Amino acid sequence: MIYAENLRKEFTKNIKEPGLKGSFKSLFKPKKEIVVAADDISFHVPQGEILGFIGPNGAGKSTVIKMLTGILTPTSGSCRINGKIPQNDRKNYVREIGVVFGQRTQLWWDLPLLETYTVLKEIYEVEDSKFKKRMQFLNDILELQDFINSPVRTLSLGQRMRADIAASMLHSPKVLFLDEPTIGLDVVVKDNIRRAIMKINKEEKTTVILTTHDISDIELLCDRIVMIDKGKNVYDGSLRELKKNFGQMRELSFEVDPISGLDVRKFRENIDLSDEDVIIKNDQNIFTVRFNSEAMPVGDMLNYTLSAAKIKDISVKDADIEEIIRRLYKEGAGGNE
Amino acid sequence: MRRAFKIYRILVAQNLKRIMEYKADFLTGAVSFLINQAIGIAFIFIIFSQIPALAGFKLEQIVFIYGFSQVPKGLDHLLTDNLWSVGYFIIRKGDFDKYLTRPINPLFHVIAETFQVDAVGELAVGIGLIAYSAPNAGLYITPLSVTLFVLAIPFAALIYTSIKIITSAFAFWIKSSGFIIQMVYGMNEFAKYPTTIYNNAVKLFVTYIVPFAFTGYYPALYILTGENPLFNIGGVVAVSIVFFVISILIWNRGLKAYESAGS
Repeated sequence: MIYAENLRKEFTKNIKEPGLKGSFKSLFKPKKEIVVAADDISFHVPQGEILGFIGPNGAGKSTVIKMLTGILTPTSGSCRINGKIPQNDRKNYVREIGVVFGQRTQLWWDLPLLETYTVLKEIYEVEDSKFKKRMQFLNDILELQDFINSPVRTLSLGQRMRADIAASMLHSPKVLFLDEPTIGLDVVVKDNIRRAIMKINKEEKTTVILTTHDISDIELLCDRIVMIDKGKNVYDGSLRELKKNFGQMRELSFEVDPISGLDVRKFRENIDLSDEDVIIKNDQNIFTVRFNSEAMPVGDMLNYTLSAAKIKDISVKDADIEEIIRRLYKEGAGGNE
Repeated sequence: MRRAFKIYRILVAQNLKRIMEYKADFLTGAVSFLINQAIGIAFIFIIFSQIPALAGFKLEQIVFIYGFSQVPKGLDHLLTDNLWSVGYFIIRKGDFDKYLTRPINPLFHVIAETFQVDAVGELAVGIGLIAYSAPNAGLYITPLSVTLFVLAIPFAALIYTSIKIITSAFAFWIKSSGFIIQMVYGMNEFAKYPTTIYNNAVKLFVTYIVPFAFTGYYPALYILTGENPLFNIGGVVAVSIVFFVISILIWNRGLKAYESAGS
């Protein structure tokens, strides 16, 4: 279905010194630097799969998505989706895909939402009867009826995002690209959007590629993840496996009673963990212990902490993606940081 | 082609609906626009009343050339005004992404999105000045000459459009080209007067390099004298087609160089 082969994208960047003076200087004596936003990215997505495309900010996720959607031309390498090369056959290709960039909108800003759909209907040549059915379907899963007659500029972020997703699915695309579809949304809207994506995927066998920073999106939706960092593909496989290998880091943070206090050195000495598996930070009376729960179970760490000091408050956090990536990257690079 | 017209009609309708969504702004715009045009016309008459003749042309002929030059300019302004936004911000802000994910030609899409009602002013002024000056301008009128003259108008407008496409497409590489469009577009001032009043360098420049002379003076010269239709009218057609082809080539190269913006 989707094949990406050795995709590479370079951008030329002007290096500028800060301030107005720097701007003048670069106007006459520009310093250029080549930035590699995506480097040798290859993967394959079979039909009907939901692929989570993850990585820290600036990793090159959007750049890859933009190459796959035909917006950017790769510096080298190629991609083929449904047997079409986006850059060569753009017009026919984009009929088969839907694209949502969470940070932008493709809706007509000043007009009632419904107007956008009637225009897109013409642009994508959706027949009247199909359009009616489709609107009904999208209305059901994304609950658009409350604001379908409101001007787009008056919609809340959650409403706008649902409206944008509906717009991208109006022509029943075979592939859906969702770039951060849940960014900045509350739990209820996130849930609604996730259910919609799942439903579309189940009922229509739509292949979905989505980028996100929200680990629940991935846990609930994705069959598989591809992780990139600094433009490079660093992981391709299931989330379960990734978590098994790298996601065992937990963060325990607790507030110590200021009078009795806590001796960090002693605290550390009594934990039987290598430096790789535990990091302790101390900010006044707030201590943060980041540790590998594989090497030391969370319960043991809690027990130990409670016995070591007088604790006023305590919380345990799951590893976030950034943390997993940090570990993964360290390991991939041989821990030479 | 029929589909293109349909899409065009729909996108233009969207644009007009958008303008009318903000009624107060629309009405203020319409009023200020009328005042602007009235001042413009008054100014033209003040200037021309000081110049009874120029480069062998009498007053009515000068007014005719001036008036005619506004027609292709207005036509282009009416239809392709969104190219300015391409040069100023659509590319720079990454908003061009949208056009690339839709199954219509991006150039057509971006142009069809704006229907610039302001241009009616230029067209009205142009046609008004032609109507005022034509009876005494000594026009060379035959069925053929009128046909050729009218035929030249869309091609002359295409010269404007091509120049705007080229200069706005620069933004694909340099991100913002609004001032470049403005500088090159501003040279259309040369089209309003006989090229014989300029020195040779300027004359060659506005004929072949930035060929605005073909959007005003040359076709007007033909209907004034009946001379040299091959150059005065044929030139408009040839130059517009050559420039349009070049503009499309540059635009398409630009699409490949488009870098979007971070998101």
